[in-house]
Amino acid sequence: MYRTAAKRLLGGGGAFTATRLLRFPKLRSTIIPSSYTSGLCTSSVGGNAESPMGGNQSVNPNQSDHTASSSSSTSTGEGPRRDESRKPRAEFQEEQARVLSASLRHVPRLGWTEEAMMAGSRDVGVSPSIVGSFSRKEAALVEFFMDECLQLLMDKIDSGLDLQNLIPSARIAKLIRIRLEMQVPYMSKWPQALSIQAHPLNVATSFKQRAMLVDEIWHAVGDGASDLDWYVKRTILGGVYSTTEIYMLTDDSLEHRDTWAFLDDRVKDAFDLKKSIQEVFCTRHRSWSWEISSRTNEWSYADDVQKKWWYYVLKDHTFRHDSAPFLHNILS
Amino acid sequence: MALRSVSRRLGSRILNHRSFVASLHSHATSFGFQEVKEEDKSKLVGNVFTNVASSYDIMNDVMSGGLHRLWKERLVGKLSPFAGMKHLDVAGGTGDVAFRIYDAIYSVKRRALQKVDEASLEETQIYVCDINPNMLNVGKQRAAERGLRDNKSLVWVEGNAEALSFDDNSMDGYTIAFGIRNVTHIEKALAEAYRVLKRGGRFLCLELSHVDIPIFKNLYDLYSFQVIPHIGELIAGDRESYQYLVESIRRFPPQEKFASMIADAGFEKVEYENLVGGVVAIHSGIKL
Repeated sequence: MYRTAAKRLLGGGGAFTATRLLRFPKLRSTIIPSSYTSGLCTSSVGGNAESPMGGNQSVNPNQSDHTASSSSSTSTGEGPRRDESRKPRAEFQEEQARVLSASLRHVPRLGWTEEAMMAGSRDVGVSPSIVGSFSRKEAALVEFFMDECLQLLMDKIDSGLDLQNLIPSARIAKLIRIRLEMQVPYMSKWPQALSIQAHPLNVATSFKQRAMLVDEIWHAVGDGASDLDWYVKRTILGGVYSTTEIYMLTDDSLEHRDTWAFLDDRVKDAFDLKKSIQEVFCTRHRSWSWEISSRTNEWSYADDVQKKWWYYVLKDHTFRHDSAPFLHNILS
Repeated sequence: MALRSVSRRLGSRILNHRSFVASLHSHATSFGFQEVKEEDKSKLVGNVFTNVASSYDIMNDVMSGGLHRLWKERLVGKLSPFAGMKHLDVAGGTGDVAFRIYDAIYSVKRRALQKVDEASLEETQIYVCDINPNMLNVGKQRAAERGLRDNKSLVWVEGNAEALSFDDNSMDGYTIAFGIRNVTHIEKALAEAYRVLKRGGRFLCLELSHVDIPIFKNLYDLYSFQVIPHIGELIAGDRESYQYLVESIRRFPPQEKFASMIADAGFEKVEYENLVGGVVAIHSGIKL
């Protein structure tokens, strides 16, 4: 699911193959609804597990797959029946994607609401009652939009965005700017979208989408970390992105100039923070080794040297690599 | 003497077995646990409902302990009615579901919260179709009590679920609550539902269904076969009709089978939701 992992698995056989792998499996796992009312349980017949296979999908290969799905068994599950039932299921996904994509046009006027989706369904030529079958209706629309933006971003990165000449912080700023600019047409209704995403039922999906977005940006910047650093980097970038997004809501400046300045400041802050943390880590490591060596009762000549070396270093209140002169002093 | 009684018992057991096997897959010829000819079934069902029409609502309340109201609310909630929709409620004689849909569309709260186009409100049409005129009369009476006698949005139509008098692709929604069990040929009713729905239209079916949970199943069977016919006798004065009712529930296909029948009729995204552990199930599908 994540580009870094996929690339490593494929042995770096071209970024192209990595993206092909990512696009066609589902971008998100299906959400199985839990019984949130007593005595209710849902099952579905005919299978809802696959997205359409192959690259012959339309311009928009992502599927808003939030519909209820658990087992994909029909009671009389013969082979041909199962294949047939898979095709219609894919058709519903396509139809849903079509309706949601048409509804986006009505969002600036009607908001992220059922009305926008019903207007969208009328545009496509489908009865508005299909909207009643979308799970978590408004959330479906918002999540579809987020997926679309992520896909657009990935396309832009693949089609040769000039990132090599920029330092990492500038690259990140550029990518976040590109992504946030996609939201500009919907800015008047974006607070509503944020509140929909913050709703307890929808938090899980929106969190996952943001995690994917952040991972995508780091991957494009050229990050190869895989340990604890990976989480820290993504968390910080997630924070930068969210704060900029919220700042943008109240920004009236021309072409959102203030927002981009804010973004640059935040990215700079993040990188400065990283440097500060690195410095603290080095210092601590040294003082620990000093502690340990000072507590040993038996120490050899080498230890003695080391202890004196540390003493001189600390006395100087400096933590520099050029403590070599002190060493020479001791040894001579 | 003993031999005769034994042979009678054996004979009846063999006869039962044979008839049970023969009718294993035929909903069309079953009237509860009895076997009837196909042509007669609709007449017999008609008689049942003619008898129970006047006390239908009270009996529903008593048998389900008032839960049927919640089930119907859930059905209408799933439907998400909207202003301007053309909806068909089949076998909805006394109008329970239709009135709920009407309220959902016209509720003041909803109109205040959402921008509803008044013109589209005018276009809303809720058709209530039932094969039994007595049930429709009860419904019309209840409409009059609510002040909706002359309302253009509610239309009461007499018709057969297997041969609807509506045009193709004319309905946004189709509901059938506790009615499909009484239809002679379920496949025909489903095919008709598919025919009248528009593209994107939803099919919703609320029906008493099969319980699988071990101990609860036994309790439910006990309640169905021992208590309900007695209540029927006490309140409605008609034991046989309610005996037919509980037997027809057992004869109806289970949830998965019914869902596959709906899928066979052409519907997509076929799902079902069990309420009260399977006592009631809401099946839904979309025509695409």
